[in-house]
Amino acid sequence: MTSPVAGPAHTPVYTAPREWTRVHPISPYLGTGPILGFVAIYFLARNLPAWVAGGNEEFEALDQVPFVWLSLGVIVVIAAIIGFGVLSWRRNEFRIGDDAMYHRKGILFRQHRQARLDRIEAVDVVQPLLARIFGLAQLNVQVAGGKGSGIDLQYLRLGDAEALRNEVLALSAGATLSKTTAPDAVPTLGAEGEPSVGPASIRDLANHLGETNPVTAVPAAPERDVYKVPTGRLLGSIALSTPTFMVALGAVAVVVAAVFLGSRVGEAILAFVGTSLFAIIGFLAAIFGYFWNQINGGFQFTAATSEDGLRLRHGLLETRRQTVAPGRVQAVLVSQGVLWRSRGWYRITMNVAGYQEDQQRVNTLLPVGTIDDVLLALRLVLPQVSDESLAAVVTGRGADGGFTGAPRRARLLDPFQWRRRGVQAGEHALFIRGGWLTHELAVVPHERTQSLGVSQGPVQRVRHLASLVVHSTPGPVRPVAANLDADAALDLLDQQAERARAYRALGRA
Amino acid sequence: MTWYEPHADWTYADRRLIVTRCIVLWILMGFIVIDFVVFTFVFSPAWAWGAGAALLLGAWFTWIVYRGVTAHAWAEREDDLIVKRGRLFRSVTVVPYGRMQFVEVSAGPLARAFKLATIQLHTASPGTDATLSGVRAQDAETLRDRMTARGEARLAGL
Repeated sequence: MTSPVAGPAHTPVYTAPREWTRVHPISPYLGTGPILGFVAIYFLARNLPAWVAGGNEEFEALDQVPFVWLSLGVIVVIAAIIGFGVLSWRRNEFRIGDDAMYHRKGILFRQHRQARLDRIEAVDVVQPLLARIFGLAQLNVQVAGGKGSGIDLQYLRLGDAEALRNEVLALSAGATLSKTTAPDAVPTLGAEGEPSVGPASIRDLANHLGETNPVTAVPAAPERDVYKVPTGRLLGSIALSTPTFMVALGAVAVVVAAVFLGSRVGEAILAFVGTSLFAIIGFLAAIFGYFWNQINGGFQFTAATSEDGLRLRHGLLETRRQTVAPGRVQAVLVSQGVLWRSRGWYRITMNVAGYQEDQQRVNTLLPVGTIDDVLLALRLVLPQVSDESLAAVVTGRGADGGFTGAPRRARLLDPFQWRRRGVQAGEHALFIRGGWLTHELAVVPHERTQSLGVSQGPVQRVRHLASLVVHSTPGPVRPVAANLDADAALDLLDQQAERARAYRALGRA
Repeated sequence: MTWYEPHADWTYADRRLIVTRCIVLWILMGFIVIDFVVFTFVFSPAWAWGAGAALLLGAWFTWIVYRGVTAHAWAEREDDLIVKRGRLFRSVTVVPYGRMQFVEVSAGPLARAFKLATIQLHTASPGTDATLSGVRAQDAETLRDRMTARGEARLAGL
């Protein structure tokens, strides 16, 4: 083990391992299970004297057992927890190769995964609070291929995680560009006489406490910040969100009821609170959790571009640094809630293959932003499109700006949204407008179209309407241009299939 | 079918699919009808109306099965496969070969007895509903191989 030496000339360098390497030995004890274990031990330690004294009737059964046996039992349980941790750590190994990244783990049921480097969609370095204190991080590698096909490594030293990310992305870019020539990015250990950091160990832990800026053999591709979300705007956007509105409405309703209907209602409410305390605590926890996720996910949100893809950094206590490989954003959705309209704020979510639908914290491209931020964000996905045309696309409604709107006869079926619906096949992407209280615009680049469909129900048939569905990878964006004129929808289907074909051919060439 | 007829060689689902679907349908309806007939003799003759209603319902479902199968067709174009299905709720799906992740051929015992198979195309999107039902068993393998070969030639990643 080489301990890090101070001084810039001898800064230890982190590299990604080419041979099987274990995750950090502290890993098994950083999850939630062990924390619960420690809480249980604390609880035991507090109550043990009382039980031993025999003052508590509830635990009379324990009095039958001699104290020595009890202590032995506790020691065995603790030893089992630690032993299990050591075993699972010994069997949790990873390495990278020229074509893929490998991970194997599991004691009874062994799991062996490989992620092909040319299929990597995104690489995230996540630091939950506890790991962050210890200078550790979690590495999530997403590949195309459905649920549970990615690799999650927890935990590594931050430097190891970053070295791994940089090398995986460099190799992945090389693998995508040319599969025959080996990329030059492969580092040689300690080539310039720099000491490399040894393997992770428990003794080593103190040296990496709170580490934030480790040096890696393959440096991260230089990045250029594109937009940031100011904290004030983030808090404002949360204050103007529908849940805040509902909570405020509920509070006002209670106060009004109590004032106008007198103390009996107040008593009734208090009685209700008293009887269903647990339900209310759960409810409050859910509300708090929602707001917490919004703040934590959007805090210091920064988007940047780099050679190896789109970079998103955010987080208050749990920080997350995402890298989405170039061209891996499958579709985006620009939305504007009714309360955000006066401020001109928008939110953008995206589909990236590998990220699952329920993961709001990884699917956000812009938590809240002005129209300028929206244009910058869209340019990250669609660099070819000019700002003026995009601005018109985002702010327009229905058939504005050359869109094909829903015809008036759709009103019966679709009374709220029909005026706002519209679809346009631009030069590089398909734009679909819709929404009523929340205005929405879905953008699908032509070369990212998976498959297309047109569907028609009986009422639509009578009214000569049909809906165009664009199938995208799993995620928050599900682009549907509903209730178009039936002939227009079918024409669009043909044209769009042809366009997608042409753009795929371009992408291959 | 007047709905969506571009110039392509449409292959319609094999009519034997009507038979296999009706067998499943009528096994189910048969149980219901028998129940009602037994009730008619055990309890009161009024239950006979139920048996009649079940028979009518079965006949109506048979008609729906017939209409559904005769509306189901697919066409292989140079770069994509078009699938259309349904009468009351109808849909057309275009699946580019370059987007296919894998092709699945399956056949249950009943389908095998009638020499039929089902081919399902999977893309990276769970929304892609491209299932070809009632493919003749002797065509299924060649169709799958042809689509896989075309997919490999046009593979576009994601």
